[in-house]
Amino acid sequence: MPFLVLAFKNLLRHRIRSLLTLIGIAASIAVLFSIISFNRGFERGLARELERTGIHFMVVPSGCPHEVASLVLHGAVIPKFLDAEIASKIREVEGIALISPILVSQLPNPVKNRLDIAYGMEMSHISMLKPSWKIEGDIPESDYEIIAGSEVAGHDNIRIGDSVEYTGEKTFRVSGILERTGSQDDAFIYMPIKAMQELLGKHERVTALGVRVSDPGRLSVVTEKLAGEVPGIQIVTIGQVMTSISNLASSAKILSLSIALIAVLISTVGVMNSILMAIFERTQEIGMMRAIGASRFDIFSITIKETVLLTTLGGFAGIIVSVIGSGIIEGLVRKFMPYVPSGKMIAFEPWLAGLCIAFSIIVGILSGIYPAWKASKVNPIEAIRG
Amino acid sequence: MIELKGIEKIYNRGNEKVHALRGIDLGIGRGEFMSVVGPSGSGKTTLLHLLGCLDTPTGGTLTIDGIEVVNMRESELVRIRRSKIGFVFQHFYLIPGLSVYENVKLPLLFGRTEKKIDEIVSLIDLVGLKSRLHHTPNQLSGGEMQRVAIARALVNNPEFILADEPTGNLDTENSEKIFELLDSLHKRGIALVLVTHNSELAARAERIIRLKDGRLQGSD
Ligand SMILES: Nc1ncnc2c1ncn2[C@@H]1O[C@H](COP(=O)(O)OP(=O)(O)OP(=O)(O)O)[C@@H](O)[C@H]1O
Ligand SMILES: [Mg+2]
Repeated sequence: MPFLVLAFKNLLRHRIRSLLTLIGIAASIAVLFSIISFNRGFERGLARELERTGIHFMVVPSGCPHEVASLVLHGAVIPKFLDAEIASKIREVEGIALISPILVSQLPNPVKNRLDIAYGMEMSHISMLKPSWKIEGDIPESDYEIIAGSEVAGHDNIRIGDSVEYTGEKTFRVSGILERTGSQDDAFIYMPIKAMQELLGKHERVTALGVRVSDPGRLSVVTEKLAGEVPGIQIVTIGQVMTSISNLASSAKILSLSIALIAVLISTVGVMNSILMAIFERTQEIGMMRAIGASRFDIFSITIKETVLLTTLGGFAGIIVSVIGSGIIEGLVRKFMPYVPSGKMIAFEPWLAGLCIAFSIIVGILSGIYPAWKASKVNPIEAIRG
Repeated sequence: MIELKGIEKIYNRGNEKVHALRGIDLGIGRGEFMSVVGPSGSGKTTLLHLLGCLDTPTGGTLTIDGIEVVNMRESELVRIRRSKIGFVFQHFYLIPGLSVYENVKLPLLFGRTEKKIDEIVSLIDLVGLKSRLHHTPNQLSGGEMQRVAIARALVNNPEFILADEPTGNLDTENSEKIFELLDSLHKRGIALVLVTHNSELAARAERIIRLKDGRLQGSD
């Protein structure tokens, strides 16, 4: 029966107290682990989107802040539009491989009596503009077909083949439904840009242009040239978009991480308190152990093993809880983030779990030092005398 | 063999000095059975703690098997307690979460020594609790708990058993049994120091010493 077993049996003597303390540690480690996992998933998701996107920069009307520009990529209604000639001017610039017009606007839905947000684009460019999308059904082939985002489809109970009517006496057939992305994309309907321009009566109107260059290595040369030759536009590279999203998210990340660390701190104090109480109650017993051959260090060692056991078990429990509850946690954290890339963010990373366990061991040691020191200082003569 | 010469013990209680022992000269031979009596506050427990190297005297010399312990470091005192001394207390001090077997084994844990299961079991058999091996202290009577404590004191094969009012919490019948158990240990060659308020039991030891105000009143 090593000291560890003795420490464990000591914990079992106050089952409820130990359990409550353990729950505190488990909860705080679960939060910490989930948040770090989410944040890492977030960075990975952004990097993935950046890597897979087929366009290199967006052209938006000048005067839009970067944040707005970044949201265009993910759908935002902005009241400014690009002039019709701009596209043709851009096309003349050397090194441009492809231009994809995007129009984001509200569309009156007379049946539901509300405004839908529509995202107009060249349907043949879909795989380039939205590389991570999975679509159930077909991409629209005619101007009378649309794709519904999963939230829209779910809310209105839309199925493939259903019809949707928009003011302008036009009826569209839903050819495909976008599978849940977990991002703002879910709340839009997607329509061939020509049909949308017609519906709005503005045949040349676009919100933004997605541009692909023929040689990504010369991206900066092209954007500089473009900025010099075409007035009234602003160029936002996808890299800048991702950076601005990352910056937007960073304060949320720091906040959530701070909350997690405060939770850990509180539970650390809980462990310290719980073991201090136990030490206080066991003073006589500690005196007896000293009398029958325990050294100061032995007492110190048993006590610190109790706190480390508590926090390590708590750490494991926390990791298990966060893995089981990752779906719920992800849903919660998404609410605090201004933009979340598509796909599942929380992936189980063993090394990170290991790191959190190591952290909980360190927490155990730190919370145990004072009680253990206190226990080792018990004067056996006075303790036994009672 | 423990030898005391001119042992003084002064406790500091705030600014006040308490002179608990005032010049004790005493020798406890191998395998001797000695009882210590005296009024409350006369210094019996203090003496026992000094004999057991749980505390060091303020003055005088104290040797155990010829080794001077007065100026020893704490770690050396711990080693002597582990190898030569077994303590028995009035309040038993068993660990509630551990079984009889585990309680008896406890000193081995601190001594970093191993003992065969058989040896531990036969020790528990010696104190008459073989059938209670896996019981926890709350399932035992006071007398039984004290037996466990005695087995625990024996597990390191000590030269000396130091018992501070081991029957203080027991009725007459159980006191008698515990005394007989201790006496049987003495017959096996273990030296025994028994502090007790029970003069009838004290008288049955080989030798009685009487303390009063920290001084030896004489022995017989
Ligand atoms: N840690 C201490 N600090 C101060 N004074 C102490 C301490 N321990 C004992 N004393 C004092 O030393 C004296 C001797 O105490 P001790 O406990 O040795 O007596 P005792 O003979 O065992 O008494 P009892 O029969 O009541 O157990 C007493 O006056 C006691 O108050
Ligand atoms: Mg006493």
